[in-house]
Amino acid sequence: MGSWMKMIKELTIRPKGKRQIRKSPAYSFDEDLKKPLSGQTVKEILSKSSDVVFREFFLQGKDRIPCMLVAVDGLVDKNLLDEFILKPLMVDFAGHPELAQMTLSNVIDKTMESLLPGIEIKKISKMGDAIDTILSGDSVIFFGNLTEAIVIGARGWAHRGVAEPITESIVKGPREGFSETLRINTSLLRRKIKHPSLRIISLKLGDMTNTDLVVTYIEKIASPDIVSEVFKRLSKIKMDAMLGNGYIEEMIEDNPYSPFPQISFTERPDVLAGKLLEGKVGIIVDGTPIVLVVPAILTQFLNVNEDYYQRAMVAILSRFVRYVGAFVAIVAPSVYIAVTTFHQEIIPTDLFMSISAGRQGVPFPALLEAFTMTVVLEILQEAGLRLPKPIGQTIGIVGALIIGDAAVTAGLVSPLMVIIIGLTAVASYAIPTFDLSLAVRLIRFPLMILAGVLGFFGVTVGLYVILIHLLGLRSFGVPYTSPIAPLRIRALLQDTFVRAPWWALKRRPQLMDVEDPRPNGKG
Amino acid sequence: MKTDRRKEHKFILRLSIIACLLFLTGCWGKREVEDLAPLLGIGFDQGEKPGTFLVTEQFARPKKDSSSGAEIEDRTFSVEASSSREAFEKFSKVAYRTPFMGSLKVIIIGEDFAKSGDFNNVLDFAQRYAEFRRSMYIVLAKGKALDLLNLKLRSGLLPAMAIKSNIEGGDEISVFPTVRLGHYLTILGEKSTAPIFPVVESVKTGEGVEYKTDVKDEAGEIRIQGAGVMRGDYLADFLTDEESKGYMWLENDVVHRLINTVDLEENSIKFGGQVIESSTKYKVKANNDKMELQYKIKTSIAIDEIMGLKKQLSGPEWVELVKQAEKDFAKVIEKECNSSIKKERELGLDFLGIGRHIEQKNSKYWKTIRDQWEAEIADFPISLEVLVTIHHSGMSSSSATNSGGEGQE
Amino acid sequence: MERISSHQFVVLSSAVLMGTTFLPIASIVTEVASRDGWMSVMPGFAVGIPYSLMVLSLLEQHPQKNLLQISEILLGKWISKITGVLYIFITCYFGGLLLGQAGDIYQSSIMPLTPIGMFYLGGILLVFYLVKSGIEVFSRFSEILFPLIIIALVLNMGLSISRMEQGELLPILSEGIKPVIWGGLKVAPFAMEYILFLAGILVFLPTGKRELAQLKRGVWRGVFLVGFLNMMVVLTQILIFGPEETVRIVYGLLVLGKMVEISRTVAGVESVFLGAWLGALIIKVGAFFFTVTWGLETVFNLKGLKWNLGVGVVFMGIAFKFTRGPDLVMEIGLVDNYLILPFASVWILTLWGISRWKGAGIS
Repeated sequence: MGSWMKMIKELTIRPKGKRQIRKSPAYSFDEDLKKPLSGQTVKEILSKSSDVVFREFFLQGKDRIPCMLVAVDGLVDKNLLDEFILKPLMVDFAGHPELAQMTLSNVIDKTMESLLPGIEIKKISKMGDAIDTILSGDSVIFFGNLTEAIVIGARGWAHRGVAEPITESIVKGPREGFSETLRINTSLLRRKIKHPSLRIISLKLGDMTNTDLVVTYIEKIASPDIVSEVFKRLSKIKMDAMLGNGYIEEMIEDNPYSPFPQISFTERPDVLAGKLLEGKVGIIVDGTPIVLVVPAILTQFLNVNEDYYQRAMVAILSRFVRYVGAFVAIVAPSVYIAVTTFHQEIIPTDLFMSISAGRQGVPFPALLEAFTMTVVLEILQEAGLRLPKPIGQTIGIVGALIIGDAAVTAGLVSPLMVIIIGLTAVASYAIPTFDLSLAVRLIRFPLMILAGVLGFFGVTVGLYVILIHLLGLRSFGVPYTSPIAPLRIRALLQDTFVRAPWWALKRRPQLMDVEDPRPNGKG
Repeated sequence: MKTDRRKEHKFILRLSIIACLLFLTGCWGKREVEDLAPLLGIGFDQGEKPGTFLVTEQFARPKKDSSSGAEIEDRTFSVEASSSREAFEKFSKVAYRTPFMGSLKVIIIGEDFAKSGDFNNVLDFAQRYAEFRRSMYIVLAKGKALDLLNLKLRSGLLPAMAIKSNIEGGDEISVFPTVRLGHYLTILGEKSTAPIFPVVESVKTGEGVEYKTDVKDEAGEIRIQGAGVMRGDYLADFLTDEESKGYMWLENDVVHRLINTVDLEENSIKFGGQVIESSTKYKVKANNDKMELQYKIKTSIAIDEIMGLKKQLSGPEWVELVKQAEKDFAKVIEKECNSSIKKERELGLDFLGIGRHIEQKNSKYWKTIRDQWEAEIADFPISLEVLVTIHHSGMSSSSATNSGGEGQE
Repeated sequence: MERISSHQFVVLSSAVLMGTTFLPIASIVTEVASRDGWMSVMPGFAVGIPYSLMVLSLLEQHPQKNLLQISEILLGKWISKITGVLYIFITCYFGGLLLGQAGDIYQSSIMPLTPIGMFYLGGILLVFYLVKSGIEVFSRFSEILFPLIIIALVLNMGLSISRMEQGELLPILSEGIKPVIWGGLKVAPFAMEYILFLAGILVFLPTGKRELAQLKRGVWRGVFLVGFLNMMVVLTQILIFGPEETVRIVYGLLVLGKMVEISRTVAGVESVFLGAWLGALIIKVGAFFFTVTWGLETVFNLKGLKWNLGVGVVFMGIAFKFTRGPDLVMEIGLVDNYLILPFASVWILTLWGISRWKGAGIS
């Protein structure tokens, strides 16, 4: 696979080292932004957007001070602005002694000191800051032609509430999930970890979208190498738009040509909290309920948070089932091909007879048969995935029952093949992470071809190539196959294939510590 | 851009080379499962011409059954050839499928062929060719292997499969040796021991078993009974049922046995029972100036059947009777063993592996007699010690009897 | 510079030492020592221990250097160059032969109709990928595969217990102790193959005092583990086939795999076991590939993808030269007995001796 990777790399020609794909066009407001801050300029810049509101009023102090409140309609809480900003300034404090002494020179300090209630208030003096804060949902008050302004945090917009995540359903455990709003997400996290060492550090990405994102980790637990590596990679990103987590994922993952996911995701605060406590780093992006967690290791894609809520014995069993499922999902069709076309001696004689009988009159060789059926399976999965739920179920029934049964009756495929394909499909649903199950679906095909050409030798070679590929992968400096290789015996025994009961975990399972993180993380 | 384009060309070139490798020349040695004819049994008989043999091969032909599962049809051919490969060539001309040896269950050697042919040459193919396994069974046929394989059994099984199931169920009665190819080859390697094979025969109605057949005078059942002893490459003699039972005891091959004392004349009360477990130990010890091999058979038996009991027994009497049973069973076992040893001496063939036992226990002594072993067999001292314990006597103690007087006379 | 931990070293050592020795070993020792062959396995492997300790003590004195560089220091430029060339030649030749063995095993036991070149190609592809990924990945690969190989071995032996013949091991030592010693000599080259690999991997080993002690302990453990497993393999084969057959069967374990039966349903799972054996072979060939590239790098300062490709081609060439199975087995035996054994033992003894002598002279 190594040479394959290389070929694809050569084809796509990407200068090494730089993670930059699209250059942002020159920002047309650059010139404007260099101007000194003033209400008038802001109005000029923003007045073409109908959603930006400019409320002009006067403050009657010693002088009559012209004021302008700028806010984006829909992003601010209007009631809040009316009640606690405009009303005090214009009505409540009219004739107030403080107000009476106010002149243009001291208006900002005085207002902040004694006129405006509310905790989120600060002073700004840069044009860029003003524009950013307005567009992010804060309100700004300009006073006359002063080059300073007051920012008032009175955000309030329609958002989805905290709901149960769809992608990670769970039987026994908390039901809340992240939503699209960054602040709500951080608050959910903070409620899980009430410790001063939880760090939540803000960043902005995307030249046009100005997306907020937060890097979160726990000081002292997370390895400083990994944290700095995360910041380093994030800072290298130069993009116009940052509309979702996928953008970041592709920009910061170690090996973009690997089918295996190298960054894990979660929609659940409890999962995120758990992973942070293992020493990982979370990246929460505004506008998406999905949180990226790095570094990721292979075995964790097969573990789910429910393992930690169930009793240890049950969790061990279900983990075992998942591992077996993953293995079956990868090799079942190729083993079928290899066994029926090369290694018939492995089949017990009675089974041999029934396979042989079942395949009487099937027009395709086993390879083609399996290949076609797998493709059909993929089509069914893809078709069912994005359809509205009720229709999706119909697709499943039509696909599985009608097509399968009809194909057997018509003699197009053998009954055993249908069983194998069904088994493969079910087994691949046992993989809890969607990303990993995609990878499994992908590597199934080359394995099938290898099986059809070289039998078990081909399958073995294929599996070894995948193994070597996995062994060479790193996620933020952490070997992807840790803790199996390199072996970390404690982590392996406590939280890999088995989940040790909580009382047995005296020390935090060290799933990883960083072995010499490299810039590109390639081993 | 130029270098990019060249790289692109290179990439496409490599891709197409790999594609060619995989698809155009691909699929070596690939055989679809439905194109294979699974070989179940193979029989060897004496050929008409000298140096040839008659090979009978039993293939199964799986057929799609409309209702459920597979139906197996019989396709058996016989061909005269001078090597196994030649035989397969001739089959392949007739059969439209590739013979598949991986499913071979039994090799059947016809009586004539065993007596005259050198069948190590025949077996060489089976131990060399990669598809065969050493776990297949070898049996001798009373009569011709050809006839045996062409039987229409009443059970509907193919004869090869029937023989296989018979052998695999053999542990239950332990009256005939089980010989796999691997075992045979190992025995050959021991040099001093003469190989032995179980004997399969067809059973017509009336020959010990009565049943109804569709076609008259044709056998519908097979049975494995007795054994054949080889002298080098050739069949020396058959062992009777009793002799092969003795062989089983002496070889420590008895797992379970059904055993009875009906043939004993000394005691009027007869016992029948099942051997629960048995083990045989060997000891080489000096007896006067000569060495002696001592067999120590320890076995435990459960009594299932008591016949000839005339009255209800009291507790102590019952204990006595069980002791009597132990003695009787021991006598039966001894008798079986002795007949086997007698046969060994008669034939001058060490099928019991006595030489090997001596070698294991006293290799120094063995070295002194190794060269004239064949001559030694006839009078090498052997002693036998049989120890029977009765485990239990079933669900009841005494048997149901008529109360004295009323029913009798 | 890549480094491997002492634990990884132990696993990698054991995996390389083991290689595919379990395939031919029974036939080799039984030929000499008959029924008592199993006894000569452990002593044969144990020969490796003093040699490995010698090599490690050389490492202690010259940290971060491989044995070729050490011999340049101790023996002077020209002798060490000659040794280096010999070293490269032997390891390269033997690596190629082992690659050939992969083809031979597959073709003769489960896939007789597939062109042998495909097996070489698959094998060299894996080896090449491993070598390209570096020694760290290689050691991780062995970390995962070695347990699998052990499991496969134990399964293979365990499942064939029911085929054992009575008393095949007896009588013990009927021919005296001599054949056992000769048998041990036949096994010794296996240990020496590993020593050649050890000579090259030195550069990547940790050299702290504590780690060195761990390495030394690791060598003991590895040798005993591998020796024990191989002994069990020989034992099982003698018990099942008897000595005569064990000698006759080229790859006894494969035949054993064919005889495995799991409750009368699944029979002959050798093609599954072969997957594990292939892994073992890949590790061994990979080890020799590494050794060759290290040798080339040290002696001629040749490194990089081009030279790796070159080595791959040479391996393939050697493998293709010995497509005849019997020739190959013969040649491997010859190289083992008459090249590797004398070369490694003389070389390392000399180095160690000189180093001791010099050390004594200074102090």
